[in-house]
Amino acid sequence: MATTTVDTVKLIIDGVQVTVPKGTLVIEAARQMGVMIPHFCYHPKLTPDANCRMCLVEIEKVPKLQTSCSTPVAEGMVVRTATTVVNEAHKSVLEFILANHPLDCPVCDQGGRCDLQDFSHEYTPTTSRFAETKRIFPKEYFSPVIETQMNRCVQCLRCVRYCDQVMDVNALAPSGRGTMTEIKHFGAHPLDCEFCGGCVQICPVGAITSRLSMYEFRPWMLKRADTTCTYCGDGCQITLQTKDNDLIEVMSAQGAGRNNGDLCARGFFGYHVSTHEDRLKHPLIRRDGKLVEATWEDALEYVAERAMQLKMAHGAQAFAGLIASRCTNEDLYVFQKFMRLVIGTNKLDSSARYGHINGVRALRRVQGTHRWTVTFEDIVNAEVLLLVGTNITEANPITGLKVKEAVKKNGAALITVEALQPAVGTISNIANLSAHHFGAHPDRFQALVLGLIKAVVEEGLVAPPLTQRAPAFVKATSDAVKALAWPVIEQQTGTTSAALKDAARAFAKTARAVILVGQGVLRQPGGSGLMTTLLDLLVLTGHHGLAGCGVAPLAEGNNDQGAIEMGTVAEYLPGPAELGDPAARQRLAQLWKEEVPQTPGRTLLEMLDEARTGTIKAMFIVGENPAGSLPPSAKANDALGKLDLLVCQELFLTETAALAHVVLPACSYAEKDGTFTNTEGHVQPVRHAIEPLGESRPDWEILSALSVLMGAPLEYGDAKEITNEIRSLLPGHGLLGAGPKPPRPNDAAVSRYLQQGYADDLGERYRLTASGLGARGSGQEETFTLLMAQSLFHSGKYSTRAKGLLQIQSTGALTVNPADAGRLGIVDGNPVRLSTQQGQMTTTVKLLDRIPEGLAVFPEHFDQDLRRLLSVTADPQTGVPYCKTAKVRIERL
Amino acid sequence: MPKHELILLKNMMTPGYTGSLKDYEKTGGYQALKKVVGKVQPADVTQLVMKSGLRGRGGAGFPTGVKWNFLPKDYKGPKYLCCNADESEPGTFKDRQLMERDPHQVLEGIAIAAYAIGAESSYIYIRGEFVLGAHILDKAVAEAQQAGYLGKNVLGSGANIQIYVHRGAGAYICGEETALLESLEGKRGLPRVKPPFPATSGLYGKPTVVNNVETLANLPHIVNRGPEWFAAIGSAPKSTGTRIFCVSGHVKNPGNYEVPMGITLRELIFEHAGGMRSDKKLKAIIPGGASAPFLTEQHLDVKLDFESVAQAGSMLGSGGVTVMEEGTSMVWAALRLMEFFFHESCGKCSPCREGSSWLTQTVRRILAKRGRMEDIETLKQLCQNIAGRTICAFGDAEVAPIMSTLQYWRHEYEELIREAEAHREKELPMAAARH
Amino acid sequence: MPRETSRDNMLREKHGKEIDDIISRYPVRRSALLPLLYLAQREQGYVTEAAMKEIAQILKLTPPQVYETITFYTMLNLKPVGKFHIQVCKSLMCALVGSDQLVGWFHAKLGIKPGETTPDKLFTLSVVECLGACGTGPMMQINDDYYERLTEQKVDQILSDLKKTGACPLKSGPFMWPEARSAK
Ligand SMILES: Cc1cc2nc3c(=O)[nH]c(=O)nc-3n(C[C@H](O)[C@H](O)[C@H](O)COP(=O)(O)O)c2cc1C
Ligand code: SF4
Ligand code: FES
Repeated sequence: MATTTVDTVKLIIDGVQVTVPKGTLVIEAARQMGVMIPHFCYHPKLTPDANCRMCLVEIEKVPKLQTSCSTPVAEGMVVRTATTVVNEAHKSVLEFILANHPLDCPVCDQGGRCDLQDFSHEYTPTTSRFAETKRIFPKEYFSPVIETQMNRCVQCLRCVRYCDQVMDVNALAPSGRGTMTEIKHFGAHPLDCEFCGGCVQICPVGAITSRLSMYEFRPWMLKRADTTCTYCGDGCQITLQTKDNDLIEVMSAQGAGRNNGDLCARGFFGYHVSTHEDRLKHPLIRRDGKLVEATWEDALEYVAERAMQLKMAHGAQAFAGLIASRCTNEDLYVFQKFMRLVIGTNKLDSSARYGHINGVRALRRVQGTHRWTVTFEDIVNAEVLLLVGTNITEANPITGLKVKEAVKKNGAALITVEALQPAVGTISNIANLSAHHFGAHPDRFQALVLGLIKAVVEEGLVAPPLTQRAPAFVKATSDAVKALAWPVIEQQTGTTSAALKDAARAFAKTARAVILVGQGVLRQPGGSGLMTTLLDLLVLTGHHGLAGCGVAPLAEGNNDQGAIEMGTVAEYLPGPAELGDPAARQRLAQLWKEEVPQTPGRTLLEMLDEARTGTIKAMFIVGENPAGSLPPSAKANDALGKLDLLVCQELFLTETAALAHVVLPACSYAEKDGTFTNTEGHVQPVRHAIEPLGESRPDWEILSALSVLMGAPLEYGDAKEITNEIRSLLPGHGLLGAGPKPPRPNDAAVSRYLQQGYADDLGERYRLTASGLGARGSGQEETFTLLMAQSLFHSGKYSTRAKGLLQIQSTGALTVNPADAGRLGIVDGNPVRLSTQQGQMTTTVKLLDRIPEGLAVFPEHFDQDLRRLLSVTADPQTGVPYCKTAKVRIERL
Repeated sequence: MPKHELILLKNMMTPGYTGSLKDYEKTGGYQALKKVVGKVQPADVTQLVMKSGLRGRGGAGFPTGVKWNFLPKDYKGPKYLCCNADESEPGTFKDRQLMERDPHQVLEGIAIAAYAIGAESSYIYIRGEFVLGAHILDKAVAEAQQAGYLGKNVLGSGANIQIYVHRGAGAYICGEETALLESLEGKRGLPRVKPPFPATSGLYGKPTVVNNVETLANLPHIVNRGPEWFAAIGSAPKSTGTRIFCVSGHVKNPGNYEVPMGITLRELIFEHAGGMRSDKKLKAIIPGGASAPFLTEQHLDVKLDFESVAQAGSMLGSGGVTVMEEGTSMVWAALRLMEFFFHESCGKCSPCREGSSWLTQTVRRILAKRGRMEDIETLKQLCQNIAGRTICAFGDAEVAPIMSTLQYWRHEYEELIREAEAHREKELPMAAARH
Repeated sequence: MPRETSRDNMLREKHGKEIDDIISRYPVRRSALLPLLYLAQREQGYVTEAAMKEIAQILKLTPPQVYETITFYTMLNLKPVGKFHIQVCKSLMCALVGSDQLVGWFHAKLGIKPGETTPDKLFTLSVVECLGACGTGPMMQINDDYYERLTEQKVDQILSDLKKTGACPLKSGPFMWPEARSAK
């Protein structure tokens, strides 16, 4: 009989036979059959350390008891987990662990969900033989958001190991030795780290807890809602825990969601936005130039009436709509339906316009998909990863964890094309793990990518089947890169052709390759083109179309992907489908019982232009804040100020809302139901954790109410009904649940691209442009490339109202390289003046090794003053507004 | 007055011997290395060592050749040899003498072992306090390198043998081989969970051999004079060769004595170390460093070889023999060692970490006449609950002093407790009144 | 507000070559940690926060990784110690031959107890565990040097020599006990 057990092992645990994969640890094998072996130091995410000695079991033929957490199963192994000997051992280890543990359970936030408490309950007598004095650590202040009570520590080192193995941050230091081992941080100041909260979550006792909820609850008082985080495109599952309609804390269970229980500071500590005191609680109507409180009835009637008047007078094309991709798919869907059916225009757009659209349009162009062809699992299992323009550990921290896992655990080769250079800091930096790091200013990423392609071509790494399938494409791209001179590439990028060839070989010669593309590409001039060129690279090396391979644009916003799929962008209907796609139009018409308008859409900047010139007279803006997000040079204020009707649905009185005629208070994600679609295309549930604040209502519900008043009712009983409508319209959408299969490239689309689709802009894309932003001539010490970037601790402007995150980072500082600072004669904390042709401002500097020379980085969340220095250009193809970089002078004050 | 030939201490016992390369060469130094490097197949060197019956002198007494043989055979990447010069076991002070007085003997041994296992880099992990020793070794390495015995292309053989001296920084546990590796990697010296053993995944995750200084110092002699010669010394077949016993405590002439394995404790203490320092009787002996259970004067005729000492209920360990005379409080002695273990427990395993503190506090309390009869039972149980339940052998070691003193001198504990109880009874009315 | 690097190049500027040499001995940089910490400690008698940061940077570690390592080892100081750090072995073997008295002498002569430093910052007294010189106890280590088979007279001489010249010929080594002549 053929053996089929190559990869499985049979063993007996407590008399029951089990079959588990080879390499499974005994503790896990037992768990799989429902036997819970007590443990403290073991955690499935961490390599076994076997330090607590709690999980001892008896294994036949082995003389001593063994730790089940560090013993892999073996064929025929006989394990006993509950004999007298084992029970005695468990008791004795527990007795040791309890010896120095204080009995302060009544004031411990872990009380009620503490492993030590639970196991003690199971094993020990109520009296202790320990009659000596307990070890006491002097209390030390740890950090504003994390609290430590080291007397409670059982020294399992899970926190330390998590911080190292999973996060690659290494902020926690077990100091001292023996019983005096204490978890500390470094230096004479509070903890400084990524504040992912992992140590709080992974501590089996109450030694590390969150200060944000200290003493506020007992675990059994909390109500829980599993929902999806709203801070970035990774789409982490979080559990919002509430007490009396108050948000108490966030957790994410091991194994939960795409994040497997891991979070970043935003997800873990950023939950207080929803209950912020500035939340809008009542509708506001502008009367005599001032926004004053009104009833919902008045406000809605006012809007409906004004809108009808304006539509009568100027037609539907005098309207435009803008929505934040922070909204749920349901909000987005109803919004575009409202604009298209109730108003009758395609002039609508969303924050996906800021960059994500570049990624999706390139995917559609080259491979006919609008989603990644890879999943997070494919990242973890990739053999080579190319990261372009993404400081992933800050922008998409959880996708970053997958990259770390691929590199640290699975040995994947990492190639990075990034502005930030390798340097160990308090925040992990993916370039530190990179085997081939190419550092350059963002305007040189294109040159680096072309260099990689040139290396692929010249090293004979173009996949032969491709040359057969698409000789013209191969020839055109090969000719194009051959025409580029190595010396020019080397000079522009500061790297060598040899290094690029090494990386090209590492990339081309492995079977599973994934390219992750970040904001450094998608939000920079030339973004749509470079995204396409990166797909060319994957095509040329023959990886394109293979399972587990793909180019993955990273969504910055939590529902950027959903915004495009729901058709809340100028160019797409739900699907997304082209505006003119007859089949899509027909499907919609059938479902909606009405024609979809034929008129063209308008992108964000175009809308503002039309508002300024008076073509557009009314706008519905949901959660989006162009007046606050775009630089003044985009003249959004001007444009919005000219409108006859500006309706804003908002949580807070933003710069844009302050200009509105009517402001309608909307619910935050914590108060509503629906779905978000994460960066990899997972449609994930959003569930309300608290009741709406004040009179706020979900965005879809507001639009629905308006539609009724405007005589074209879009009525839904609840969000679920909308979800169902979306699913009936887009069958693929709803199927994507917990373990979806990513789409495969559409063969017809690929063929179309390879035959002539690539040609339109090939010349443009395969050219070495020299914008001059990066280059610094001699004697130009004061000239810098300013880059507005995402910080790990914030998300847009939204999170700047989260008190936890503000305690971690409350202001922006200009980060520069120490060498540059030295030349300018500045040190940490010095004030400096920044100037461009647009104006000037002052700020303080911070020196960071990872910032390359010539670059100055500022967190965009605190850019109120800095925005004045920036100008906006629109991508000629995709209309994406680029306003993240400028050339500035920095002077010491 | 050795009735036998000295091997390891021979050179340095020669008046005027300075330990310089010149002196060492004069006594035939580096001939063994010349004999093997490039001339004998590495695997055959291992065979030779196996045949000699050489067992580790670091503590566990594992057969050296067998250990080398565990390295993966066709492994291509780097392998490492670590010379364990951490010598921190209380009672042990032989490696220091070997390194400071005859450093080239150690280096030649390392070079032979490195050649046999194919390690291009070897590290001598020397305890941080041995500043002078590290300095002497550094100088010796430079000399040997200059002379072509170490470095690239040793003696024109094509073999690269690099030796680096790496100082520890004060942690007994770093003598445990996997803690040593962690420490050498720049980390806290916490022992690793085994398997994997160093032979497959050691320094930097590469195949690694860890051997004690004395173990390695034997190698030139085994090569020069043949494994059969070596195997004939001591008590064949299991305890071959000599051992340097470090005698300390209440003897007339404490110090290092190299003798063939198998002589009795009596011979060592009364003939070599000159007997008791005063007219007090011998009361207790620790035969193999602080980790070895105490023996009594009834064990004086136990032979000093691995098996015999084990049979007597203790272990040969690191060769540190401590002698205590009549009048020494065994509770006090146990406490002194317990304090050492408490101070040195790395803290990784809960039973060792918490147990060492608990045991120490309890014995301290008993000694301070605040004990209770039930403490004795608790001590025993705690010891049983620590032994065999930890990652490294430290756990077994730390219970040795208490377990063995309780075994032989339980009455000393009881007397202290009875005194305490008498005391307490007097106090009782007052204590009761407090309630 | 996260605070990262504040640079300090003191060690690199002063000992650049030695540092490179140390690092070159190991295939993995972190191994150079203890040697570099010794180098830093040579400067001020203890490892300063700035030194920890600089070493972290040199070895591409985080400062906590440097810090946690230091705290594991007894020979690395995080606080200043006296010019002469007297470390008396108190383990059993030395205790059997009088190390407790030795501590008593120091208390009598210098007025300090273990853990204390003389007001002139000259002497710090510590009791330590076994220093590997059990056959020649009672013994102690002062800075880099061992002093063995101590008697009260020897201690007097050592203290006065150290005070006067900063060195004392009574220090031991290269070690051998019993000495060669006794073996004849
Ligand atoms: C707690 C502990 C401390 C040890 N200390 C030392 C030591 O200081 N020196 C030493 O050579 N071996 C020491 N060992 C033994 C080593 O782990 C290892 O077995 C030895 O270095 C192997 O070398 P060998 O085979 O030559 O004896 C110690 C073991 C333990 C468990
Ligand atoms: S037994 Fe003790 S010394 Fe050994 S690893 Fe465990 S805690 Fe550390
Ligand atoms: S869970 Fe196995 S030793 Fe801690």
